[in-house]
Amino acid sequence: VRKLFRLAVLVGLAVWAWRTFVGGREPHERASISYADGSSLVLEPGSPQFERFAVVARAVLDR
Amino acid sequence: MDAAQALAELKELSSQVERAVVLDGKGAVLGSTGDDQAATDALARAALELVEAAGDLHASAGDVSLAEVELEQGGLFVLREGERTIAATTGPSPTAGLVVYDLRTCLRALDEPKPKRSRARKAQPQEDEA
Repeated sequence: VRKLFRLAVLVGLAVWAWRTFVGGREPHERASISYADGSSLVLEPGSPQFERFAVVARAVLDR
Repeated sequence: MDAAQALAELKELSSQVERAVVLDGKGAVLGSTGDDQAATDALARAALELVEAAGDLHASAGDVSLAEVELEQGGLFVLREGERTIAATTGPSPTAGLVVYDLRTCLRALDEPKPKRSRARKAQPQEDEA
């Protein structure tokens, strides 16, 4: 039981460290569109559609 | 309410909005925050480009109601209602729901009639009868 408890603590610490030091550094970037008919799209970074949006946004945000 | 007044209220209301512009149905600028004309034109152009890009992804090209892009350096929001469009930039990690709510409030305020100023009557000084 002790070994199991230690293992659980170690896994918990590893997940916390990963999320704090590695996951948190990744920039949160996304784009989403809503249409009048109620439909919507979420574009993830890396897709060509997202890059088209990002180029337009950067032109304004980098000023 | 005119665009300048609505945008002034938006700036007061939202601490996240850095710059905003209101466009009419033809893409002409109705009003903007700030005095930098080049920045206003750039934001207006970006809003139209974003709507065009969003329209290309959907069959009903003209029916984009909201487009938002969140990047490391900030956010760009474009909201359309009826003939009018409002675009705004924010700093990094904006609270998207709040920004959209504030932009919608600003756009709807444009349709409302200007509140009438009620003139407060000056209180008549009461004469003391001695």
